Amino acid sequence: MTDQEVMLRRIAALDFAIVELNLFMDTHPYDEEVNDKLSSYKRKSKMLREEYEKEYGPLTPRNKEKNQWGWISDPWPWNNDKGEE
Amino acid sequence: MWVYEKKLQYPINIKNTNPALAKIIITQYGGPDGELGASLRYLSQRFSMPYPELKAILTDIGTEELGHLEMIGAIVYQLTKNLTPEEIKKGGFEDYFVDHTTGVYPTSASGQSYTAASMQVKGDPITDLHEDLAAEQKARSTYDNILRFCDDPDVKDPIRFLREREIVHYQRFGEGLRICTDKLDSKNFYAFNPNFDKCKKRCK
Repeated sequence: MTDQEVMLRRIAALDFAIVELNLFMDTHPYDEEVNDKLSSYKRKSKMLREEYEKEYGPLTPRNKEKNQWGWISDPWPWNNDKGEE
Repeated sequence: MWVYEKKLQYPINIKNTNPALAKIIITQYGGPDGELGASLRYLSQRFSMPYPELKAILTDIGTEELGHLEMIGAIVYQLTKNLTPEEIKKGGFEDYFVDHTTGVYPTSASGQSYTAASMQVKGDPITDLHEDLAAEQKARSTYDNILRFCDDPDVKDPIRFLREREIVHYQRFGEGLRICTDKLDSKNFYAFNPNFDKCKKRCK
């Protein structure tokens, strides 16, 4: 696994926890314990995302003005190699 | 409004192609109980859903399903990369191949193109939530059936992840149904449709 893949997996794991807890909060809006957990995952994900984007390019089009080519370039999420030639 | 994220919800990295397996997994892309139908169903039902918790559930699950659609597309794409004509024939993939080459097209395993006829938006919260509970179970059964034909751990792993999500969504929709009926007439949940019958006296 490349360093980029390792980092992307760590972000995906944190973001999955965020999706899951966010969904839980839809039906349990007053659960403070879960809300605190959610905030902590969001903080960790934000830090890791900034680190990743500095190294490998933007994760969302909102952040692409700093690195237009990084947004365009392979690999795209469905590519399981460096990208297709 | 949506913002794309250049990553999958769960990583997919398949080393060995397998067109026969791709041909059955594609059903979760465009089949009757697939992720496209799931997403379209929930995102469409939102508009006539009266309670804020339910609008949130439908928005968040409908959005997650789009991520699952992308995962299924990635699985099919990776399972059919760089195939030779011999491999296509051996995998029974010729009929799909002549129509779509190795493009990812929304169709069921049995060859029916995606149709919204397999889903419903009834505009009645109780009815729509039961549709959603059923949809999650139908998708779960489909993943169970796919797993019967799956012996590649690279494929099994993300399919199991997706299967598990159906169960979690089912749970959330169940809570949603409870939130809905709690707001209705406990002597007769069907006394009125809170989306349509806007009578202030009865809808309190």
